[in-house]
Amino acid sequence: MAQAKKITLPLTDETLKDLRAGDNLLLTGVMYQGRDAAHKRIVEALDQGRPLPIDLKGQTIFFMGPSPARPGKPIGAAGPTTSIRMDSYSPRLIAEGLKGMIGKGMRTKPVKDAMVKYKAVYMAAIGGAGALLSKSIKKAEVVAYEELGPEALRRLEIEDFPVTVINDIYGGDLYEEGKAKYQVKA
Amino acid sequence: MSILSGNGTIDKQFLKDRISYLLREKCYITISPDVMYLMEKSYEEETSDSAKEMLRTMIENVRMAENQKKPVCQSPGFPTAYIRWGKGTDITGLKDILKEEIVNDTKDGFLRPSMVHPLTRKNTGDNSGVGVPNMELEYEPTLDFMEVLISFKGCGAELGNAIKIFTPAQIGENAKGIKEFVIDTVIKAGGKPCPPIALGVGIGGQMDVAAKLSRRAVSVRKWTDHSPDPEIARMEEEILGMINQLGIGPGGVGGKATALAVKIESAYTHIAICPVAVNFHCWVARRGGMRIYPTGRIEYLFEGKDKK
Repeated sequence: MAQAKKITLPLTDETLKDLRAGDNLLLTGVMYQGRDAAHKRIVEALDQGRPLPIDLKGQTIFFMGPSPARPGKPIGAAGPTTSIRMDSYSPRLIAEGLKGMIGKGMRTKPVKDAMVKYKAVYMAAIGGAGALLSKSIKKAEVVAYEELGPEALRRLEIEDFPVTVINDIYGGDLYEEGKAKYQVKA
Repeated sequence: MSILSGNGTIDKQFLKDRISYLLREKCYITISPDVMYLMEKSYEEETSDSAKEMLRTMIENVRMAENQKKPVCQSPGFPTAYIRWGKGTDITGLKDILKEEIVNDTKDGFLRPSMVHPLTRKNTGDNSGVGVPNMELEYEPTLDFMEVLISFKGCGAELGNAIKIFTPAQIGENAKGIKEFVIDTVIKAGGKPCPPIALGVGIGGQMDVAAKLSRRAVSVRKWTDHSPDPEIARMEEEILGMINQLGIGPGGVGGKATALAVKIESAYTHIAICPVAVNFHCWVARRGGMRIYPTGRIEYLFEGKDKK
């Protein structure tokens, strides 16, 4: 099995050129955490021409809502939530310059098309591995929508955060390719 | 020594303590032992290297959570309590205790606040809420124990659930139509329900009965058990085999281990219909159960010599 690639965030078009569906990555740098409610607010702000709480260009968003942090720890369990629920929002954010998304489960065609058109990747973190993933998050702070509690927008500093590339900028899709490879034909 | 009061109610503090232990030691920080057994077995039998690595990581995650007494998954899922009791005991106060413990456990960081008004989406902040936990009560007069089984089932998995009211003609030869519906539902869900999954299937009754049976099947049965009905047991094995040929794999990235178990529960139904409900369970099986006897003896479910 290929060694994981160490990647520094923020993702650039240069970095994205070399990423392919199936690559295992260890991400270090800054990413943002948000899910359903935060996405809704960001798109509403875009629609109404209001400023966004963060500059989306070049950023990566992790679809996640953490469990409460223990005293002295930056964050609680931090596994991915189901990405398809963000699909009605993602193409908009990608068009505004979002370069990476992390979650679990397949995305729909409009999101995949946007990733090829604007150059962005979708990566999966291991579903259910919340305790383990939290270890790679060194710092977490709320930057917007604090009243949403676990659904607030957070800035995360990560070190060697393990993900697998699902959708690359060339239209590759690990969920399709993996299934095709391991499907037992009748 | 009896932990019962004169009218059969179990001593409140005793019950509170036992439920708190069940939740904090068996539910939040680990997965039920039968599921861990199947995860380890799937790891041994996995054909894809990257899928094997994923399973190894998932198992490591549980060990880590157990050691650190941390929630094994960030999402608490939605809690359902399956309660059975008989003439010898009385469940007065049990629902309130369960509600209180869930709120306490949220305050102490074991559960992320995740309960919202269905329309406004306002989070209660402490996992309180109308209908939380979902209470499934079954009175069986001959039981001499009170059985409390609590399951926190992940809700990303819920998005894949499906129900169809078949006509008798649609069932097909050897239930071919039903099997195809189940497989199609699994294919559509892909990696969304955190595979390797377990599938609960409810067949018969009416719509609501099939739905309840599908949840009960995968929530209360050991995933390693076999249905006492040979017809159903055969169908469970067959569908499990079919799912593990799909190639979806752990996390949906490709591999053999797509499902750990298929559990089917059924009820008789009307000549005009055959309702079939399909209910996904993620691999992170946070559930615990116990039988409390009037003497105070506790028997834990999902464990013991036959945890396999």
